[in-house]
Amino acid sequence: MGCRLKLLNRSLTVAALFASSLQATTFYVTVAGLGGEPDYEQRFASYATDMEKILTEKGGDIRVETFKGPTATKANVTAALTRVALAAKPQDAFVLMLIGHGSYDGEYKFNLPGPDISGAELATLLNKIPATRQLVVNMTSASGGSLDALKSANRVIITATKTGTEKNATVFARFWVEALRDPSADIDKNGSISALEAFQFADRKTKAFYEEQKRIATEHPQLQDNNKAGAFPVVRLTAATAVTDPAKQALQAKRDELESQIDQLKYQKALMPPDQYKSQLTKLLLELAKTQEEIDK
Amino acid sequence: MRFVALLLLAICANAQTLQQAEAQWRAHDYTAARDTFKALVAAQPKNPEFRVRFGRLLLERFNTQDASDLFNEALEIKADYAPAMLGLAMVADQTFDNRAIQMTEKALEADPKLVEAREFQARLRLEDNDNKAAAQDAEAALAINPKAIDAMAILATLDLLNDIKETRWIPRILAIDPHYGKAWNTIAYFFVINRRYEEGIEYYRKAIALTPDLYEAHSELGINLMRLGREAEARQELELAFNNGYKDKATTNTLTLMDSYNRFSTFETNNTILKLNKKEADVLRPYFESEMKRAIATYEKKYKTHLSVPIQVEVYPDHEDFAVRTMGMPGLGALGVTFGTVIAMDSPTGRHPGEFHWASTLWHEMSHVYTLTITNHRIPRWFTEGIAVHEETAIDADWGDRLSPPVITAIRDKKLLPIAQIDRGFIHPSYPNQVIVSYYQAGKICDFISAKWSESKILDMVHDFTTMDSTEAVLKKELNISPEDFDKQFMAWLDPQVRKTVDSFKEWTGKMTTLNGYVKAKKWDEAIELGGQVRDMFPEYVEPANPYVALSTAYLAKGDKPKAIEQLAAYSRIGGRDPDTIKQLATLLEEAGKPKEAAAALERLNFIVPQDPDLHKRLGALLIAQSDYNGAIREFAAVLATKPLDQAGAHYDLGRAYFGAGKKAEALDQIEASLEAAPNFKPAQKLLLKLSTDSKN
Repeated sequence: MGCRLKLLNRSLTVAALFASSLQATTFYVTVAGLGGEPDYEQRFASYATDMEKILTEKGGDIRVETFKGPTATKANVTAALTRVALAAKPQDAFVLMLIGHGSYDGEYKFNLPGPDISGAELATLLNKIPATRQLVVNMTSASGGSLDALKSANRVIITATKTGTEKNATVFARFWVEALRDPSADIDKNGSISALEAFQFADRKTKAFYEEQKRIATEHPQLQDNNKAGAFPVVRLTAATAVTDPAKQALQAKRDELESQIDQLKYQKALMPPDQYKSQLTKLLLELAKTQEEIDK
Repeated sequence: MRFVALLLLAICANAQTLQQAEAQWRAHDYTAARDTFKALVAAQPKNPEFRVRFGRLLLERFNTQDASDLFNEALEIKADYAPAMLGLAMVADQTFDNRAIQMTEKALEADPKLVEAREFQARLRLEDNDNKAAAQDAEAALAINPKAIDAMAILATLDLLNDIKETRWIPRILAIDPHYGKAWNTIAYFFVINRRYEEGIEYYRKAIALTPDLYEAHSELGINLMRLGREAEARQELELAFNNGYKDKATTNTLTLMDSYNRFSTFETNNTILKLNKKEADVLRPYFESEMKRAIATYEKKYKTHLSVPIQVEVYPDHEDFAVRTMGMPGLGALGVTFGTVIAMDSPTGRHPGEFHWASTLWHEMSHVYTLTITNHRIPRWFTEGIAVHEETAIDADWGDRLSPPVITAIRDKKLLPIAQIDRGFIHPSYPNQVIVSYYQAGKICDFISAKWSESKILDMVHDFTTMDSTEAVLKKELNISPEDFDKQFMAWLDPQVRKTVDSFKEWTGKMTTLNGYVKAKKWDEAIELGGQVRDMFPEYVEPANPYVALSTAYLAKGDKPKAIEQLAAYSRIGGRDPDTIKQLATLLEEAGKPKEAAAALERLNFIVPQDPDLHKRLGALLIAQSDYNGAIREFAAVLATKPLDQAGAHYDLGRAYFGAGKKAEALDQIEASLEAAPNFKPAQKLLLKLSTDSKN
């Protein structure tokens, strides 16, 4: 079952990467909310700044808006999401990242300077965005309380906490930022970090943080929809280029075919004698490496 | 209603006597004994004796708190009631609390003829290895009552500890009570706390042979068998005790710990046995095995001794599991403990990163194996601990014990013990941190002997303890010095090393607060000026919020990287262990074009946080860049052992290290594993093609 899912994920990832890189725009809105005290204020703002830098570094068809400190008001966030709703097309992608404190008393609220914004209000704004691929990364305390409100068929949701009752300040945001700039988070080495890869990276680091500090974990990150998250590139590590040379297009087709054969072979692994599996894998990997070498020439 | 209940209890109590309660107790009918005592106390609330005897029952049945309350209540009824004071002394001795000595002395002041208190005082003296005083107390008890059977047990213990096998006291004990297994139980207890486990086990068996229902002895036998790795028999004894109602913490927790052993893997070589928790075995094994081998080679050469059995090391990621191994043992036992050739210790993952140098603890404990083996476990506690601390620094200066605030305070307040009494500081500490102070002092004493006489004198002294039992005699033989003169010379040697820090300690404390305030307020010039002064007052201080880090922060803020490096390098050299700080030093060294020094800085962390994949990845990259391929293989293998998410990257790194080392078959395996995880991983593809071309040529 695990193998089948992985296989599906990879095909989707490749497809999505091309779709998003060549035809679509990705809209990013990052909000660092109210810190409440200087240490948190500084930390949240610095995560948002880092995020913006990471997103814009490789260029591509992206639109990035970041709000932090006094600019992170409900009015500004509402205006930004409304702008995206007007500009985005169905083939586009949209990413909302929320950093800071949240609260939950039956209803989730993201703490902002001035009035807070509720999970339901955010959902209303997001539902107006026509982009059919959406990702919300809510990294605040109590963010698990926003899961129900934000749920949508076309939306991947990541939260730092499992429920609204996990109210302590979170560390997930720190590791999410780390994930987006660490090449080792790119597990399948396809040149981009997907939402699933970034989540797995940050989730593991969050768990390790509490284990190392000998503290009871007060946040349990959640991801809704693994399949879509695997196919949702959040940040690109290398620039994508369009191939127009027919010879290279043929080589690419050969490469895709070899990849597919490798995936099928891996799926059969448990049923094959180890020696046979290894010799077939070696052959395919070598062929794939040669093909890639030809493409890169 | 309450009045009626009390009246009923009083009526019942009329029919019950203290003798009945004692008889029920002796017959192991603890519930009935408890009820009888309760009724007696209710019927005669002003009778301190009932409360004390009830307290003693509860103390024996592991209810220390209620026992303590009853003894205190008895003292409220009668302030000078000696048996109640004795009861409190016994409570204190359960945790080797120094108040045991004070309360016993008070009990004897209140009633000099209380034989049991005199016997107990003898026991406390013997725990402190003050054999002479222990014998005097036991004799004093016998002078009051010639049938003081526990005093005889102490005298028998003294004979047996001194290898007088045909002690005259055992026949005398058996003449009074032919089934008095408790005498052997006492003897066994003292052999165990003197680390003579094999003999302790033998004597517990004798106790059981005389009194088969002495479940305390069954439990202790089980615990000590377990300590020496004889698990099957240990379990049998512990379960026997447990199933017969002997359910104290040590018995229960040891059984629980033994149940958890299926979570451990055992790795054996010709001279080592290593037990690691399965979840961290792959990561820790290479580092632990390597240090065990290195320590064995070093100590065999130094102590000129070859062990006939492998050394077993058990590593516990859960400190509570490790704590079970040290239950009922005197001394700190906070990090590691040695039972003959078996060592139990904390895992580096069981502690907050940076607070534990596992290799230092391992070498410390392994030195005990040698000194205990050479002396057939006759070495006094202060000397084996002193040597172990001395050895830590001998391996590497940054491994050992440093001057710390508790030690400074003890030196300032003249609380270091004379060498003849230093064991007491380990067993019955009289102030908080005295155990830590005693470790430091014992280590320094060995440093002093090595510096003033020679390192070989330490070894000669170790051998002397095989046949001689007193520190005084050994000092006289090897150093031709009395304990008093030794103390004087030792303090004269130590004083110049610590004087400046001790004298300025109060000022240092105040200035440290100011310094940290400057750093917080980003007053970098002020921090740099004050930081240098504070650092030089107490250079050994590398704990959290230390001047080295404060100075490096200030220098970095001012853009002076070389000076920041200087401070952090000094921090590391002295023994600073904070992983983030050392990683920062490595980063700065790398930026300064000093990869070799950067790698050396990170290598130190393998002894502190070997579970950190980031450490191994960085170190592996630095080593491969310096063509140290074998080192890189070790580090990248450690990355893989942490089961990283990035399997492709980890296998690739290990593959290229193997490739560099010329191990092409291993390299190919790793590169294929990398590409299996991520078929499009271009660096791995390139190496695969290269390996493929090489194999054809």
